[in-house]
Amino acid sequence: MTNVATTTSPVTAGRGEGVPREPPAGWGTAVTVAGAWIVLIVVSGIHRADFLSHQTVLAVTFTMAITGVLAVAQALVGISGGILDLSQPAGLILSAAVAANLLERGWPVGGAVVVAGIVVGALWGFGNALIIVFGKLNPIIVTLGTNFILGAVMFLIWQNAQVPIDSSLAEFGRDYLIGLPSTWWPMVVLVLVVGFLLPRTRYGRHTIAVGGNRFAAQARGISLRKTRFAVFSAAGAIVGFAGILFAASTGPFAPSAGATYQLPVIASVILAGVSLSGGRGSIWLILLSVGFLSTVPTSLVFFGFSSNWQQVFQGSILIIAVAIDGWRARRLQR
Amino acid sequence: MTLIAVIVVGLSWVGPNFLASSNITIIASFVAVPMLIAAFSGFALLAGVVDLSIGSMVGLSSAITASLMSAGWPLAGAAAVALVACLFCGAINAAAVVWFGADTIAATLGMLVALRGFDYIIAGPQGSIAAFDVDFYTFTNTALGPLPYPFIIALACIAIAAIIVSRTRGGRHVQAVGGDDRAAGRAGISVTTVRSLALVLSALGAGIGGVLYVGQLGSASNLTGTGLEFQVYAAMMIGGYSILRGGVGNPVGAALGLLVVAGTSNILDVQAISPYFTNIIVGLLLLAAVLLDRLRGGDAFE
Repeated sequence: MTNVATTTSPVTAGRGEGVPREPPAGWGTAVTVAGAWIVLIVVSGIHRADFLSHQTVLAVTFTMAITGVLAVAQALVGISGGILDLSQPAGLILSAAVAANLLERGWPVGGAVVVAGIVVGALWGFGNALIIVFGKLNPIIVTLGTNFILGAVMFLIWQNAQVPIDSSLAEFGRDYLIGLPSTWWPMVVLVLVVGFLLPRTRYGRHTIAVGGNRFAAQARGISLRKTRFAVFSAAGAIVGFAGILFAASTGPFAPSAGATYQLPVIASVILAGVSLSGGRGSIWLILLSVGFLSTVPTSLVFFGFSSNWQQVFQGSILIIAVAIDGWRARRLQR
Repeated sequence: MTLIAVIVVGLSWVGPNFLASSNITIIASFVAVPMLIAAFSGFALLAGVVDLSIGSMVGLSSAITASLMSAGWPLAGAAAVALVACLFCGAINAAAVVWFGADTIAATLGMLVALRGFDYIIAGPQGSIAAFDVDFYTFTNTALGPLPYPFIIALACIAIAAIIVSRTRGGRHVQAVGGDDRAAGRAGISVTTVRSLALVLSALGAGIGGVLYVGQLGSASNLTGTGLEFQVYAAMMIGGYSILRGGVGNPVGAALGLLVVAGTSNILDVQAISPYFTNIIVGLLLLAAVLLDRLRGGDAFE
């Protein structure tokens, strides 16, 4: 709550962009996350030597694919000062369900279905932005509500969906490229491209500026509304793309299937140094944080923990990550 | 106002049976535990810290109580262990949020997920634990007139909370911290103490709620309390609280908000309408409530 309050208060909004003491989005963070990842791998490898296998690499990269794409969208929202988009699970499944439905009707995959999924996702993000911008409402609450509503609406319409197994999208989802799941590569490309463009294009810089200090950004003639609409729509489009990857690589899914991604995505974005109060964060670091968090489930299995422990660990990692985020923000304020 | 509207809709749609004593008993026993929890977590909202983890904490408390009771412990001992566990989790919340300055929603969301994992672990592969204590079951399911005992306890908690908030110095301190923490700090109120206590109180309320659920149901499952945080906070926002800023809201309003939601879902229940419609309505009510809150003078997000 304290952070939410400081985001909108003019007194503290100045931290972020343009403050000289700000460390450049962080080598420290990168080293910490990479270190944690290496420690996890080494410890798991010592415990069970067969952890260090191609199977593990496949499991980890498979988990990374969708989490990573969603994390890029979440990071954009966070960096722009939009705090968090909690409606990602519903958007993901909406796009996946649309893709599955279109394929069943015999649409060709070649682009059309992919584009449809991305457009659906973008519209979902645009709808959220409509409520947030015109209602001037806090994005966390709005997306909490819309996620709940869309989830319930989807349950009323359908209970189970699946991409036809013989479709080329499902074949792509099962396929491998250079020994890694084919869904992993689009994620890496997306992270690299968005991470490259964000500080180097006009729209990207506007996004960072609005998140850092919206008053200063407005004074420089950047439209707050346009930026919010652009960011939430772009983030929605990326969620829609994640929905396509999800549909390609998953079997039958229910409308609630997206919920499992919520926490790992938020935790990896915060671990990557994206501040929930906006203006700060590196997209590229997502590769490290998502990699680390995607290794945790596999590692837990090798240590003999049941899948229920996964929730315990994910929740704990999120608490620790936001505690670090809050502590960092406080130190910068001094 | 909204409550009156719900009653009118209920009367006209369901018919006079909506206010029949048997239906009131159903609504009252359904709303008792959420109302008790609201009386406690209202302090957290008032102090400007929202505790999303209460749903899983209710699950944790009922899972611990039920598993210890099925292992032969007496009710009091089992409940005491459950409450201590919840207080401990509340202390972790307080440490992360108050001492480290973590974002409250994100930190307690983490606690929500972590504790749900523990609920599954404690409930074991069957997913539920039977814990039947004849006296406790009878007590929680006996009604005084149309009102079950747990509902009367919840009403008492609401009344006590209302008195603390509006009539005592401690209550005014909580409101001051939630309204403007810097000003409260300058006025010599310890913001960290108030917020920590508020989060621990909220955990205690969830713990008591979980124990009562064991009494009402005679068992605990790994799903006990799922989504309760959403139901309770949506209702409290309808009743005048804000989960984005502290300092506003009154326990009596929370109780009325809960009755509105419970009445709504009861109407849909009686009409045999899919519970997903309830979800949609609660979601829409939540959005309407934040909009109302902003129009009442909450911070505008731009």
